[in-house]
Amino acid sequence: MKRALPFVIIAAVLGAGLLTAWYLQRSTAETPAAPPTTNASPAASTASTPTTANPAEPGAEPPQALGNANAPVTLEEFGDFECPPCGILHPVLKSLESECGPTKVRIIFREFPLVPTHEHALAAARAAEAAGLQDKFWEMHDMIYENQKAWHEAFDVRPIFEGYATKIGLDLERFRRDNSNEVVEQRIFLDGKRAHALGVKGTPTVFLNDREVPFESLAPETLKSLINSELAAHP
Amino acid sequence: MEETNQPNVARRATTLYGAAALVSLIGLADSIYLTVEHLSGRSVRCTITFGCSEVLSSPYATVRGIPLAAVGAIAYFIVFSLATLAAFGYKGVGKLITLIVAAMFLTTLWLFYLQAFVIGHFCQFCLLSALVATTLTVLIIAVRYQNREQ
Repeated sequence: MKRALPFVIIAAVLGAGLLTAWYLQRSTAETPAAPPTTNASPAASTASTPTTANPAEPGAEPPQALGNANAPVTLEEFGDFECPPCGILHPVLKSLESECGPTKVRIIFREFPLVPTHEHALAAARAAEAAGLQDKFWEMHDMIYENQKAWHEAFDVRPIFEGYATKIGLDLERFRRDNSNEVVEQRIFLDGKRAHALGVKGTPTVFLNDREVPFESLAPETLKSLINSELAAHP
Repeated sequence: MEETNQPNVARRATTLYGAAALVSLIGLADSIYLTVEHLSGRSVRCTITFGCSEVLSSPYATVRGIPLAAVGAIAYFIVFSLATLAAFGYKGVGKLITLIVAAMFLTTLWLFYLQAFVIGHFCQFCLLSALVATTLTVLIIAVRYQNREQ
């Protein structure tokens, strides 16, 4: 028996390791309709455990939103303008927005710049929010994401964002001033507070009707089918 | 004299191998977590250091398409298995474990260099793995030292 014991221990650890990997993998592939996992390990919750949105931290008010406030489906994205997966998600959300229409789907963007991991993420968030003060948040949001590769490597992004501001017809002087505006800072801070309250660890993190969508489910077809399920449930 | 010293040396070696097995479990858990994070493609946020995203999305995070973390997980599992066998008195695994741990330590040094001087960012999970590999190296050196004394 003693000769076999080490092999039993090794087999048990192998089984536990495979089970953990399977569980973590499964938790990223779960649909958002699944109930929140209450006994998840810290690692599992970091990977992607469906979380219910916490109204205690509402984030910046009013949120940067597209679509009707009474739309049956709300997609709330916590994004970082410099994160490549967020850039990939951008056209997906754009096409969903135009396909479903503003009466059915509302899209909210929350600032979650991964600072200092992404050195230009905060500048990008400020630029978008500063454009928002001139009612052109989404125009700037689209510009920044669509040109992510162009500015990501730049040493100084300010002239680039000012170029975008000119292109979308902003008052450039006001845009420059608003980049360090307290309202802009406060909006980013409040969105960050909401992100932390919800346990958002990375970007992009998307909540569909207050339930976290696992990263794996952000593929266009999967996300669309999740939205269709929600629309069917809330006609 | 030899008769009284040998069981002590053997007991100490067992303890050291047992410790190595336990320490390698930390590395295994860390590597599994990093592998899943890598495969999920999510941008990870460090809580202690800054630079998880840079390090984990760098070209050095994969070897021919395989996440380096997955290679690490396999290595830690092998070390765990060998250390467990050695702790239970199985002969002939000592040299193999020494070779594998030496290779892991050299890889750790290389990865630390990459983080410090090439990528310019540190990932806390990678640093934990480096700490585990270093501890394993110290434990295996201690075992070899014990055996030489014997």
